[in-house]
Amino acid sequence: MARDLSFLFPELMLASTVVLMLVAEMLRAPRLALAFGLIGLGLSTALTLPLLEADTSVFGGTYRVDLLSGWAKLILLPGTALALLMTRAEIAGKDREGSVYVLLCLVTLGALMLAGGGDMMLLVLGVVLTGLGSFAMVAWPRNDAATEAAMKYLVFGAVTGSVMIYGLTFWFGGAGSTLFSELGALDGKPLIALAGLVAVLIGLGYKAALVPFQFWAPDAYDGAPVSVAAFLSVITKVAAIFAFAQVLRDLPVATGWPFVVALIAAVTMTLGYLAALVQTNAVRLLAYSSVAQAGYFMMGIVALGTSALALPSVIVFGAAYVAMNLGAFAVIMIAGRNLDDFKGFGRARPVVGVAMVVFLLSLTGIPPLFGFVGKVLLFGAAIETGYLWLAVIGILNSVLALAVYLRIVVSMYQAREGDAGRTEMAPPLLVVLWATALVTALMGLFAGVFPG
Amino acid sequence: MTMLALIILAPLLAGLAALVLRRAPEAIALAGVGLGFVAAMALLAGIVSGGTMQLVLPGLPQMPLRLVATPLTAVFSAMVATVAASVLIYAVGYMRSDPEKPRFFGILLLFVAAMQALVLAGDWITVLAAWELIGFSSYLLIGFWHGRDGVPGAAMRAFLYTRSADLGLYLGIFVLIGWAGTAEISATLDITGTPALVAGLLLLIGAMGKSAQVPLQDWLQRAMAGPTPVSALLHSATLVAAGAILLIRVTPMLPAGALIAVGLVGGVTAVVAGLIALAERDLKRLLAASTSSQYGLMLLAIGAGVPVAALLHLIAHAAIKSTLFLGAGVFQHDRDSTDMDAVAGAGRARPLVLAAFGIAALALAGIPPLAGFFSKDAILAAALAAPGVVWLAPLALAGTVLTGAYMARALRVLWQGEAQPVLGKGMGWMGAGMAVLTALAAGLGFAFTPLEHLLEAELPPEGTAMILGLMAALSGLVLGWFIQPARLMGPVLPMAQRGFAVAGGMDGLVLRPSLAFAAACEGFERRLLASQLGLVRILSLGTASSAERSDNRLYAATLQVGRMNLRLGDSAETTDTKGIDGLIFGLVDRTIAAGRRLRLLQSGLIHRELALTVMGIAVIAAVLLILPMSS
Repeated sequence: MARDLSFLFPELMLASTVVLMLVAEMLRAPRLALAFGLIGLGLSTALTLPLLEADTSVFGGTYRVDLLSGWAKLILLPGTALALLMTRAEIAGKDREGSVYVLLCLVTLGALMLAGGGDMMLLVLGVVLTGLGSFAMVAWPRNDAATEAAMKYLVFGAVTGSVMIYGLTFWFGGAGSTLFSELGALDGKPLIALAGLVAVLIGLGYKAALVPFQFWAPDAYDGAPVSVAAFLSVITKVAAIFAFAQVLRDLPVATGWPFVVALIAAVTMTLGYLAALVQTNAVRLLAYSSVAQAGYFMMGIVALGTSALALPSVIVFGAAYVAMNLGAFAVIMIAGRNLDDFKGFGRARPVVGVAMVVFLLSLTGIPPLFGFVGKVLLFGAAIETGYLWLAVIGILNSVLALAVYLRIVVSMYQAREGDAGRTEMAPPLLVVLWATALVTALMGLFAGVFPG
Repeated sequence: MTMLALIILAPLLAGLAALVLRRAPEAIALAGVGLGFVAAMALLAGIVSGGTMQLVLPGLPQMPLRLVATPLTAVFSAMVATVAASVLIYAVGYMRSDPEKPRFFGILLLFVAAMQALVLAGDWITVLAAWELIGFSSYLLIGFWHGRDGVPGAAMRAFLYTRSADLGLYLGIFVLIGWAGTAEISATLDITGTPALVAGLLLLIGAMGKSAQVPLQDWLQRAMAGPTPVSALLHSATLVAAGAILLIRVTPMLPAGALIAVGLVGGVTAVVAGLIALAERDLKRLLAASTSSQYGLMLLAIGAGVPVAALLHLIAHAAIKSTLFLGAGVFQHDRDSTDMDAVAGAGRARPLVLAAFGIAALALAGIPPLAGFFSKDAILAAALAAPGVVWLAPLALAGTVLTGAYMARALRVLWQGEAQPVLGKGMGWMGAGMAVLTALAAGLGFAFTPLEHLLEAELPPEGTAMILGLMAALSGLVLGWFIQPARLMGPVLPMAQRGFAVAGGMDGLVLRPSLAFAAACEGFERRLLASQLGLVRILSLGTASSAERSDNRLYAATLQVGRMNLRLGDSAETTDTKGIDGLIFGLVDRTIAAGRRLRLLQSGLIHRELALTVMGIAVIAAVLLILPMSS
């Protein structure tokens, strides 16, 4: 018991931080809650470092402390800290400000459950924990758009979540255990394996916003505060991808899941970019772009178990995606939600403009930026597994991606009639921008530090 | 080691400094490029005295980034550094009064750094990174005067053309890495058989885009919208050279099938682009078409299996074409245009510039003892000794004749006509840059023999080739000087003037369809939704559905009326969402009053989307069920 708990220090730290933040919020001291959150996330990240080499599981195999969950913490916890700063910049001084901070950290705790779960119960717990907090955050502005978006998000989550739990009962029945490590027992029971697989694809596919479960994403991102949209588009998505990796690597390949996942990946990235191509709202554009990016993630999932590159590729692209997507949303917070707001933005604010170009080119996958490194590894993993066609579709889509992102870049450097109102930039946002821009621009050259 | 790093870092840091400091960009740029030049020369000297150098950096897991200096890469690096330095000296004069100087020099230096990284790259990941960086910085440079008419379009076109061809490069490199299991270039060159053929053809596509080979040649002529030093550097010695350099480096791997393709593409380009150049009515565009044509000759030499001949021509062409562009830039300064009618007689006012232009033109045509004579000889000899002599030799000879013809035509235009008095402003720097390059264009040929020794390569015997080449060059010059292109080319002229645009050219074949495709996607989700929804209803609801449908229609109509009223009242609020509604679903938008929200949820979006989701689930389940049966 004591041994098991010692492996959970980061999670315990985060959980107690959330409690402290709740107390601070009850005292109506949002800045205190923010400080608790930042310190807690920092400590939690530091506590992860000694556990990075661990490869074990605790509490009877239900929770995994391995490469994937370790790097998940290293990526998600700092990412949440950046999201906290972005939120502070957006909603400082508003009513119920502290509750958003609490919810952010709570959802991140759920995300860690997803990324480390080795058991169906924990998977459900993670899905519910991330889901409930997210609904509340989307509804936070209390206006029509936000309420509608949250409602939609909730209904979608309720349907997909219940289908997932229903399907998981088949796996439990077939394997006689809720542990993922026992899923090998499903070999030779194709129908049972199929029922559970479809269920997991629905539940986690909804969380990761894969096609055809992506409908909620643009509305939810658009209705929520931009910073919350940024958080949802990176933290819960990456957690869901990592959860996919935890579940599917134990499932026998004979069920045919790699092919189905490859199909979903191809459709997701194509439809995501096609839809992004016609958006006139920057938040919705990035929402569809993050749908497409989820498709790229799935290329790494396809290769699980057959390619040594699979896990590293998902981890590296996860880190890159968190940095570049948070950065792009941070720029939207400065420039405005509409694509027209970007007109002349690059001339009015040259430094932020260059940062945005870096984020967008990295999202496209232009070397030597961080996003490129992740995509190369994903392509490599897919090719090594024999899915050359998937890699080809991925590469073709990066042309589409360029068209999508260049729309923002082009309008940033167009002349603007009249003077662009130069809004003041909050200091927390500056920190976020610099951190994400540096990581995006430079980590590509030092990607050797990641597991390989 | 230090030299390798310095070659790239010096221009890179100088470029960043010019962009950030925004003052004295000329001095910073000259210092950066000068340092890079010294380092490149030191590297070459080190390589000549024996040995290779390698610099390994941590990159991707298991795929470190490498820079290598072999005789081949060191020669390329020295060439890039020399041309860059000369062009930069010229640019100091050319850009003297441009208010955006820091941006110009900054980007130009970044470009030089990226180009050096490309030629020195020792692994494919570095190649890709440098390839993208030169593409992107060339986009910025071509679009430098983005305020002028047509310039942003030209920049975007250049970017998209080369970018779409880059797909070939990406795929080719992934095939190589996937097959060899390593990203190191020298290791991947051991591949043989079908993978080598596939990778070779894919790399050829990438090279065709960058080196402006038929049918992807159009972007290069339009790229002349950029400042002249950009044309001189990018479109003669570096950016365009990237494709040929790539192919020269992978020649050892290319099987016979791929070589045939390379040679054919090159030969056809040499002739087609030569005809375009002959028909051209603008001096800079003539030079651009000529660049395509000369790179065609280089690809032809590679296809003939003698990459050294291509290398020699690449180096000679770099000096020659930069000189020609710089000369054209001087005339452009004088007459504010490069149109043939406008620059007629411009050479008379500037005899020195015309002399330099003339030397370079004769060198390109292949007149001894200028540099182009030796390299063109080598190409002809390679074509004559190649297995595919039957078709390679005629194409090479035709290309040579055309080269002489269009260069003679350009010279004649510059010589005949009214001389106008000119102002001598800024000619010091411009002249200095041109002088260096002219000297190289004239005398570089004598350095070719030691170069062959350095590269340990042997050229085929040259006796017949020399006579044939000289005859072709002279006849081309005579034809071009004395006979109007209209008479020379006959019915081919109008086609050549349109750039041999088959079926609307690349625009018609690629750009327009893809734009139309994107537009079609606008209603994609909506139509998908409608069709699937209908299917679901028919399947599951049967007769009951008709009642619901009419109910829905009624509701939709009420909604429309209500929405229009609201639009009028809340136009300020709706700006945020305007344009999106109708675009995706056309039925509902979120500006509807709060009281209707619940009804909206019941009859509007969500159940439709859930229906789609259910369809998706059904498809997934069906695939999973069918899969085991088919396998």
